[in-house]
Amino acid sequence: MSAARTLLPKDMRCAVTLGVDFDGPSHEVGRGIAPIGTHSWGRYSARCGVPRHMDMLGKHGVPCTFFVPGYDAECHPETIQAIHANGFEVAAHGYLHEAWDLKAQEETELLHRTDHILRELTGEPVLGWRSPSGRKTPNTMHVLKSLGYIYDSSDKDYDLPYRLRFGPGPQDSIVELPNNTYSLDDFPFFKFSHTPPSEVLAQWKAEFDAIYASDRFLVLTVHPRSGWGSGTPARTAVLDQMIGYIKQHEGVQFFSSAGFAQWCLDHPQHLEEVSIP
Amino acid sequence: MKTFAWPQGVRCAVFLSVHFDAESYDLKSTTEDRLFGRFSYGRYGVRAGLPRLLAMLQRRTLAATVFVTADDARRHEAEVRALAEAGHEIASRGADLRPLPELREGERASLAAAHETLATIAGRPPVGFRAAGGELSSGTLATLAGLGYRYDSSFQDADHPYVFAPTPGARIAELPTVQALDDAPLYSARHTMARLDKVWREEFDALHAEGCLVPMTVHLRGDMGSTRAARIAVLDDLLAYMASKPGVRFVTCAQLAEMTLAQDLPGEPDPCAAHQATLAVTPYRGDLSIKPI
Repeated sequence: MSAARTLLPKDMRCAVTLGVDFDGPSHEVGRGIAPIGTHSWGRYSARCGVPRHMDMLGKHGVPCTFFVPGYDAECHPETIQAIHANGFEVAAHGYLHEAWDLKAQEETELLHRTDHILRELTGEPVLGWRSPSGRKTPNTMHVLKSLGYIYDSSDKDYDLPYRLRFGPGPQDSIVELPNNTYSLDDFPFFKFSHTPPSEVLAQWKAEFDAIYASDRFLVLTVHPRSGWGSGTPARTAVLDQMIGYIKQHEGVQFFSSAGFAQWCLDHPQHLEEVSIP
Repeated sequence: MKTFAWPQGVRCAVFLSVHFDAESYDLKSTTEDRLFGRFSYGRYGVRAGLPRLLAMLQRRTLAATVFVTADDARRHEAEVRALAEAGHEIASRGADLRPLPELREGERASLAAAHETLATIAGRPPVGFRAAGGELSSGTLATLAGLGYRYDSSFQDADHPYVFAPTPGARIAELPTVQALDDAPLYSARHTMARLDKVWREEFDALHAEGCLVPMTVHLRGDMGSTRAARIAVLDDLLAYMASKPGVRFVTCAQLAEMTLAQDLPGEPDPCAAHQATLAVTPYRGDLSIKPI
């Protein structure tokens, strides 16, 4: 069962998933750089950014998915356990935040390694993955599926969730929750355009208004690090106010990424199926 | 675990750190005999910018922390001495602005020599350090502690000062900064003063509301710095705005380091140690970053 085009049911006025891409020291260490001095932004994630984000999200009572590189989980196991204990989803985000192309065997090994690390820390299966930097290979979805993952959130090719078919077998499909790292993400504004926090909020509100009036599906991503991230007070406040703004709209439903992917699996008739490649 | 706390009645502290970065910066791109034309923005900072900054700080009775390379101090001895005599803190930025990791086994000798130069010119030894480009090597913190430094201010990883114990028994305060409160990234990207003013006010308001350290960084230079007449007015207004808020205390970095070291905080271990095994088998990919189209 599938739909010609994904269409969320009428009573789900708008589905919202929030993601925090942990991006601790792995981001620098994976590039061969010691996370010290100006390269220490990732150390802010566990120390300040993640606790601040969890406090803020907890006050709103909304779900959120933390996408965590395996290396960062090894560096900060207690933080990952706190994320899980606070009821937020822990999902996979590479091992050393690999923002470069991987050979199939190495990729398989790293996906398994991170899955094992996160599973050990939370005591629960990992259900989703977001590529660090958006890179995937023809192999990636097969490995994720073999690990029991139900969704990927890395593709940029659509405004709505869909069922991504990556092979002919009955098991060869996965829920895709596409994201956009040019507008519905913090780093373009804080890394490139030095946009004042209030203008980032205005930008995201405009994005939400348009989405609420059309596709009704929002994937918003922030990073808890310092530097180009949103862990610091002024920028966490942007996400805080953004959530408050979204909540004012009738019929909005917040989901964890896994929660929404499960909804998609339970309602296949609402999802378009797309074969890629 | 004991965590950093402000003194009674203080909601947050503000420090104004100044990067002297005169010819030392231009010499990253040219040679001594070519310090003119496009390579004279550093000299602007000393000739035009410094008197303006000094006057503004004197009017505000505000003491700044000025990070100076030994080479710049040698070129501008009278100016550095005048800064020290006016009550500003002279802190070390190393010998020149070459990144420390490039110095390899020469790093310690270079930092020690810069220390001696600055001590002689400023009349007292510097107690604080901020690395050129924020680039440290794995041995820098231990070297600084060994030279008697009380603080480093090169990290960007915390809301409050903390303490490193880079070697057993050694203690050095870390005064972390935030990129958003540095004028150079904004002005070097050719943003307007209005934009910088908006970013800084919003960042300050949020840091003040949460009682975090407010680490300001400005440059003397005429290109990416804050000493042009119009730009220093923005800084002046912003400092007045901060001073008008309840519980704001202005400190020098040296004062903040003493405040931090007096609190008996646990010393964090060498920040490189946990990553050494992985770094040893990871190729350098530092040039890998997203560039605008």
